[in-house]
Parts: sequence; structure tokens; C-alpha cells
Amino acid sequence: MNTNITEKDGKYTVSLEGELDTAHALEVEQAMQPLHELSGKDITIDCAKLDYIASSGLRILLGLLKSAKAKGNKVVLKDLNDEIKEVFKMTGFIDIFDIE
Amino acid sequence: MLLISGIQQNYARKQIRNNLERNAEMELIIKSIDVKHSLEDVTLALRNRSWEFEKFLHYPDSLFDVTRRIMEENPNFAGCCIAMVPNYYPEKGRLFEPYTLRRGEVIETFQLASEEHDYSKNPNFIIAAENDSSFWSEPYHDEDDLNVTLITYTFPIYDEYGDMAAIVGIDLNTEWLGKLLNSRHVFPSSYNLLLSGEGRLIYRPNGEIKHKDVEQIMGLINDSTAKHTISASGRVTIFSFVDWEDHAKGSVYYYTPNSIHSWSIAVVNYDDEVFAPLIKMQWRNLLLTFIGLLILSFIIQRSAKNISKLHQATLEREHIDSELNIARNIQMSMLPKSDETASRDDCDIVGSLDPAKMVGGDLFDYFVRDEKLFFCIGDVSGKGIPAALVMAVNHTLFRSVSAHETNPARMMQSLNETACQRNEQNMFATFFIGVLDLPTGRLRYCNAGHDLPFVIGKTVKSIQAKPHLPLGVMDDVIYTMQETTMTVNETLFLYTDGLTEAKNEKHEQFGVKRVEEVLKHSVENKSVASKTLIQTMKEKVDAFVNGAEQSDDLTMLAIQYTPKEKHIIYRETLTLINKVSEITRLNAFVKSATSALNMENALANQIKLAVEEAVTNVIDYAYPNDTEGNIEITIEADESRIRFILTDSGADFDPTGVSKADTTLSVDERPIGGLGVFLVRNLMDSINYERTNGKNVLRMEKQYVG
Repeated sequence: MNTNITEKDGKYTVSLEGELDTAHALEVEQAMQPLHELSGKDITIDCAKLDYIASSGLRILLGLLKSAKAKGNKVVLKDLNDEIKEVFKMTGFIDIFDIE
Repeated sequence: MLLISGIQQNYARKQIRNNLERNAEMELIIKSIDVKHSLEDVTLALRNRSWEFEKFLHYPDSLFDVTRRIMEENPNFAGCCIAMVPNYYPEKGRLFEPYTLRRGEVIETFQLASEEHDYSKNPNFIIAAENDSSFWSEPYHDEDDLNVTLITYTFPIYDEYGDMAAIVGIDLNTEWLGKLLNSRHVFPSSYNLLLSGEGRLIYRPNGEIKHKDVEQIMGLINDSTAKHTISASGRVTIFSFVDWEDHAKGSVYYYTPNSIHSWSIAVVNYDDEVFAPLIKMQWRNLLLTFIGLLILSFIIQRSAKNISKLHQATLEREHIDSELNIARNIQMSMLPKSDETASRDDCDIVGSLDPAKMVGGDLFDYFVRDEKLFFCIGDVSGKGIPAALVMAVNHTLFRSVSAHETNPARMMQSLNETACQRNEQNMFATFFIGVLDLPTGRLRYCNAGHDLPFVIGKTVKSIQAKPHLPLGVMDDVIYTMQETTMTVNETLFLYTDGLTEAKNEKHEQFGVKRVEEVLKHSVENKSVASKTLIQTMKEKVDAFVNGAEQSDDLTMLAIQYTPKEKHIIYRETLTLINKVSEITRLNAFVKSATSALNMENALANQIKLAVEEAVTNVIDYAYPNDTEGNIEITIEADESRIRFILTDSGADFDPTGVSKADTTLSVDERPIGGLGVFLVRNLMDSINYERTNGKNVLRMEKQYVG
């Protein structure tokens, strides 16, 4: 599981790669921690190479969205595969995230 | 004619008032049950965790996480504190109070106690500590942080020696209770109020209220010298009022059920809406009266003495008949439809209710939840609308309690508490509740004075059950459950006394002996399928009665347990310890099964997700912090279905009793946790929980072919 954060044109992009299961949730959460503290920038989460996500992963994304929203920033999810999109639909997350 | 019209108007107004009184009474009773169950959901959420409090007492700092987890799982909670008995942890000083607060979407956890904020002087703490019991506080307005009305549920917790260790307080925003109460009304401007035992508003409806008279109504409710009347049944108190501001007339009905902490529920209706249909009918009535008079005078002219008497009697009879018809239709429509379980191959159920001429108080019901068949049969003493009403309430309760309870004795307890409330008419009901676990055939049941059902297998015998008193007789009856295991193709036959007491013209009764004979005969003929059994019994009793008038409802319910043998083509078992790092091994284990069964990727991933969520749930909650425990996973598949069986020896926890996550909330309202069980439910075709031999066993099934 790889978590890559880059900054470009005043925006953060997080690339998630691999399987975000419960065993890897803590590692990803720690990698994303800086994003909670920095403010003022929108965040794009690139899911093109994310193969799988469990509810522990959804928790991390929801936590990030809540803290970004509190600072007036957006979180956009990009390139979700069909199976993950299905999980987002099932849990209602599809309605609370911006999805491209 | 104007005089007649005036009398008619007056009479109609009275009728409308009477109907309104009856409707208001029903509404208040049903809503009080709703409120009771919502509060029970709160206490249930905490009861499910009581083991956790005790285990975590050894680790003072982990109590912060406990309060946080409770808050994450219960979006209706505004705050949660664990106020330790002073000097409980010497190393933490005199006062120690882990606390989690919800502020908008943010959850904050911190230590609340200090010498300035000394909870040991707080009245709630003192009352709970002295009385050694749980209670709901009076409502209070929180101006500091949240600007909302709160109530607090307070209860003591104990350590392993049975000594009181702390008082837990849960703050609840009352708005959700209010939303629940005001979810539906007969009239558009009506609204409900919820009052505490001391007469203070627990929930104040805002915004939508047409008139601004809540203060005035509160004053009148609390003023014992004001002119209040009692409804015909004695349950509901009524008074009318004129609005101070815009002079609208209205009436208030309120009711204090003793099941919800001496709280009262009130409904406010406005006359202009209540009598609107009457004004519309005024002109039509006038015309009808005119025509009616013409016809009447014609009839009088034409003939007969006593014609008006006859006319009156017919009208009355029609009126009663139509009321009985309505009640009967409502009663029949509440029974389960035969196709409700038609798709299942592991049970075959047929129920039948032949109503007597008068509407009666018989009931049966069944449905499957999480691979458990819940069923009941009952008979209320007496007949007519009151009996049907009592049955309707019992039926609603049976359905609502079984949504999160699988223990039939606890279900019976709940039904009995409601049945005993204000039972002035001394109505009682015999009742039998059963819960059949379909994967294992384990049958748990509880009997409240009902005729014992028969078990029909190789022989015919009645089921062994403690008799207990019927529902509604005494409110302190302790119901216990018994259990047995049903074997393949055994049939359970339940009935009401309408069967055994069916009479022929000589007033002889059909009797339990004849019932048993018919069943034995069916065993000899090898025709114990539910449908045949009920049909045969009907034919025999019809032949016996031979046309004599039926005096009581005749109700029968047959349940045949027909599990199918499965041809297992895959079986593997893996044992994990309760660490999240083990998920990697788990996922590889599931993957090897889905690959061996040639599942396509999308389905395999769904299954992987469901199993991971179920196991994560066990890792998070089954064992106390820092304790190692095992989780065993067995995968089993036949040609079309795959099954996962999770076994752990952790704390008793039924995930199928957890209320459903609300997926329609906005970002701010969404709680962080609580999705795991929801995902398992949605990704799998069925889930099933059993506590056996001190172990939690969770089964999940999914069809993977066809």
C-alpha cells in the first residue's frame, strides 16, 4: 500500500495505490496526518491505482473531508474503480464526496 | 327543518369529537410506544457495552476511548462522561472524569473534572450514587456549548467485586425524540409535546407551529385547578383552549403512560381543521334532510305503525356492522401474507384465522430476520373492538421488539409491561412466542398462559413450556424461556382455544383429545406438511361442528422445519488472533477460496470486504484492550452458495441487533464509525448470529452461482 502526497498549483494530490484494508489503515492515516494540519488548500485523492477499500479506509477519507470542510476546502475523489464506486453508493458516501 | 338541521349539526359535532378522542387516544398510545422503544434503543446500546465498562476499568486511560466509541456509534448522543467514584484511582487524584462531547461535526475527548468542576457535588451524580440505579434527568437547556435542550441518562457501573466504580452520564439532544413524535399527524396544524414528570417541556416544536400558544398550553396542563375532563376509557385527559394571540380554538389531549418515566405526551388539534369537513357537509346535509323528510312522510303516509322504530333499529345495526367490518378488515390485513416466506426452502409455514361473526382478539404472526424465524400466536380475553385493539397493540410491539431482540422471554416481558399499563378493563391475552434459528434448528420459546403447541415428528407430543401468567395480569411476572432443537421435517402446530372449544349443536366441544388424534392420524398417513395439516384439521372440525354457529375465532399455525442437506465442495478453517495486522492473512485466505470457486473479481472483492468488516468488528470489540484472543473462520461452499462461520469466545455481542446506519445524513451529521455491520448486511445475502457454549457464532452467506 503506497500513499503519495504531492503539491502543485496550490493543491494537494494524494495518490493511493494498492489495497486499503484494515491492516494498512493506520499506515495510510499517519501518512495523511499532515493534511489535517495544513490548511487553505483543496485536496484531490487520486484513486486510479486503488484496488480495494474497507470501512477503516472510508473512515480515513471521511475524517479528512470533515477537517478540510471545516477550513472551507474541498476534497475531490478521482478515478474510482467500479467496485469501489459501488461501496460508495451503498454507504451513501457518493452523496457527500465530490467525485470526478 | 332548520331546527332539525341544527340538531343534526350538534349531533355530528359530538360524533366528530368522540372520534377525535378515540383517534387521539390511539395516536398517543402508539407514539408513547415509539418513544419507549427509542429510549430502549439508548439503554440497549449501553447494555451491549456493559461488559466493556467492567473490563476497561483496569485501564483508566482507555476509558477515554470508551466514551469516544460510544459517541461515534450513536449520532444522537450529545455527550458521554464516566464520572469515577471519588478517589477510585489513587494515581489520578480525587476526581477523574473522561468525557466526550459532540460540537457540530467535531468530537472532543478530554478530562472534565477539576476542583472547580466537582462532579461529586452534581445532583445527578449524587442521586445515581445514592439510589444505586439508572434514571433519566429532567430536561435542561445547555447554553454553554450547544444551545439545545438536553436530557441525561445516568447509570452506575460496577467493578468485578460488585462495588460501584463510576456513574455514566449520556446527554441526549431531545430534538430526535421530537422529530419522531411529530413525524405524522391527522391534521396539518396539529403538533405533539413531550413533558417531563415535573411538567417541563422535553421537546419544544419550533418553526412550523401555526399558533404561538405553547406557553399557555403548558400552563393549563400543569394547572391542576383548570377544567380538565377524562376520556371515556379513562386514559387520556382533555381540555379545550382559546389561543391568546389569534383567538383560534383548539383542544389538547394528553396521556401519561407509566412506561416512560412519568413523562407525558400531548397532542394539540385546532377546531377549524377538526370541523372543516362538517362545514362542507352542512349544505349537503340540509338537502339530504329535506329529501329524507319527504321520503319519510311518504312512507308514513303509505303504511305501518312503528315504522320509525324499525328504521332506527336498522340504522343502528348498519352502523355497528360497518364499524365491526372496518375493525375486522384492519385485523385481517395485519396478518402475514402466505407468500412472506414462500421463497425459503428451510421452513414451510401456513397460518389460518377463521373469524367468528364478531370481531375477535386472535392473532398470529411470523417473519424471518437474519435467518431466524420469529413467530407468535395469541388470544385476547373478550371480543369486539377493545379485544382487537389490544391485539393490534401486541402485534405492533411484537414486530418492533423483535427488530433488535432474539430472546423470547425478554420480548414477552416487554409486551407484558405495556399490557399492564392502565389496564382498567382488565383485558388479558394468552400468548406464545418462538424464535427458530434456521441454520441450526434451535428453537427458543416463551409461553404466557397459551395452549401448548404440538411438536409433530415421528410421534405427536406437546412442547414443554413453563406456563406463566397471561399478558396484562400482573406487571411483575418474570418470564423465562425454554428451548429445544427441531429435527428435519418436524412440524410445530399452534392453535387458539377456538379450535378446542369449537361446539356442535349439542354444545359438545371438539377438545384437545380430538386435535391430538387428528395429528396422530396425519403422522400415520405421512402427511404432516403444513398445508395438509391445517386443511385436514379444518375439515375435521367442520365435520364435527356440522353447521352450528361459530362463537370464537379459530386460529391455527403450522411450521414445518425443512432444512436441505448441502453437498459441500469446499471447506477450510483459519485461526487468527485479534490484531489488525492479521487482516492480511485473512484476506489471502478468503482470496484462495474465491479463486478455487472461480468467482469473478467483483464478487470476490465484495465477499472479501464483508468478511474483513465482520472480522474487524470482532478484533475491535470482542476482547478487552491488550488481551489476546482467537477468531476462527471457516469457509464452506456448496455448488451455489458460500458460507463464512466466524467463532470467537469474546464478550456476548449480537451484531444483528445493531440498528441500521443512516446513509442519508450529510457530511456534518455522519458519524465516523458504525459502517462495518451495515456493509456486512448489504454485501452478504444473509447473516445469522447465535451465542452457543459461551461463544459468538456469526454466519454469513452469499450465492455465487446463478
